[in-house]
Amino acid sequence: MMLDNTDPYEPELGAAEWREQAGDEQNVNKTGTTTIGIATDEGVLIATDRRASLGGRFVSNKQVVKVEEIHPTAAMTLVGSVGGAQSFIKSLRAEVNLYETRRGQDMSIEALATLAGNFARGGPFFAINPILGGVDEDGSHVYSIDPAGGVMKDDYTVTGSGMMVAYGLLEGEWHEDIEMDEARRLAARAVESAAERDTGSGNGLVLCEVTEEGVDITEYDGFPDEDEL
Amino acid sequence: MQGQNQQQAYDRGITIFSPDGRLYQVEYAREAVKRGSASVGIRTPEGVVLVAERRSRSPLMERDSVEKLHKIDDHVGIASAGHVADARQLIDVARRQAQVNQLRYDETIGVETLTKAVTDHIQQYTQTGGARPFGVALLVGGIDDGEPRLFETDPSGTPYEWKAIAIGGNREEIQGHLEDEYSDELTLQGGIDLAIEAMAVGEEDGFPPEGLAISTVETESGEYRTLELDEIENRLAELDLLTEGDDE
Repeated sequence: MMLDNTDPYEPELGAAEWREQAGDEQNVNKTGTTTIGIATDEGVLIATDRRASLGGRFVSNKQVVKVEEIHPTAAMTLVGSVGGAQSFIKSLRAEVNLYETRRGQDMSIEALATLAGNFARGGPFFAINPILGGVDEDGSHVYSIDPAGGVMKDDYTVTGSGMMVAYGLLEGEWHEDIEMDEARRLAARAVESAAERDTGSGNGLVLCEVTEEGVDITEYDGFPDEDEL
Repeated sequence: MQGQNQQQAYDRGITIFSPDGRLYQVEYAREAVKRGSASVGIRTPEGVVLVAERRSRSPLMERDSVEKLHKIDDHVGIASAGHVADARQLIDVARRQAQVNQLRYDETIGVETLTKAVTDHIQQYTQTGGARPFGVALLVGGIDDGEPRLFETDPSGTPYEWKAIAIGGNREEIQGHLEDEYSDELTLQGGIDLAIEAMAVGEEDGFPPEGLAISTVETESGEYRTLELDEIENRLAELDLLTEGDDE
């Protein structure tokens, strides 16, 4: 009789409609993708490629922007099914806004990661594997979220089909006190390396800087020279 | 409904306004709160104090079974006045909501957020056909990020925040005492003593130790704690408000 929205694994708005629409696997656009998140003292650097494909065998889009602002000081990458990732991001954004208007304060990044993990596990979003990067009063945070709802915090993380190539470079170059400028150049090189060898990644670069000031996204056609970054 | 019945309809149906814009059933529910024994909440910089009177109808009754203070989560408690059975339903709403918040965000729920979840629930019972409003008022006390908070809910479902407040029977007199004696610099101990003294207004004999239930949520620990009987007895003795218990 009385309305109580108490399921912590479901988004508050719009879940039922989407669940009906899990389309047929063959024609689902996937991002393939290499997405990278690196936490630094100044904020979080996120880098992604720009390709969407059908199973990594046909390039269905060459100018996808696979990172979006979902919170005043947090961004998320689109990895896996494009439809699943897009609705996931929209739904989280609605939740973030409701939380802020109801409680008069922004959701912490840990709360946002927890919510994202819950939705990935119990919600209507299928086949996604995003990175969440954000800044709050506790500092910079990078999380990877897997399709079963696993939430893992890290200093740096990579998801998508090009992850192994990108990790190869990061394992050699990343260090504890990495700064934003260095992280930007390193992540751009890692995405470019992945694009060379992974058929699901390519066509350009998007960089996103998340600081306490906000989220700043820059799109590149192709891969810029290091001095252009 | 016809004739005379129709004229009284706004008195019976919860969802119907009277011609002068009142919801009589909600007002009657407030009367039900006044018939209950009192509860007091006091906010001090060191924490929040909740005190409830436990009336016993017979010396054969176990006073512990009169539950008027409830732990909701580690950092929040609720005191009630009015219908105990109605209170229990709201207590469970609050406990569930605290855990939902934990599951959803991996965060302890804020006292204000919790209070509003409860008052939103109460409000639905003032607007739904066939329902009856909750005949109970609650005091929600706890710690939010190191800050003591104290809220009241009433049968209309409106939340209010207070420094010190009484609900239930003899509310006006107790509130008057709180208004005269409250200070922003009370210690937690001072808050407990003020709450007991306020409860004793109009109860000149004082209380047996089992006649009161007292809980605190300390700012420093952020933990809900119920005072033991001997601690209550000590306070009552110190304040010269100790009367003989049921057993003697």
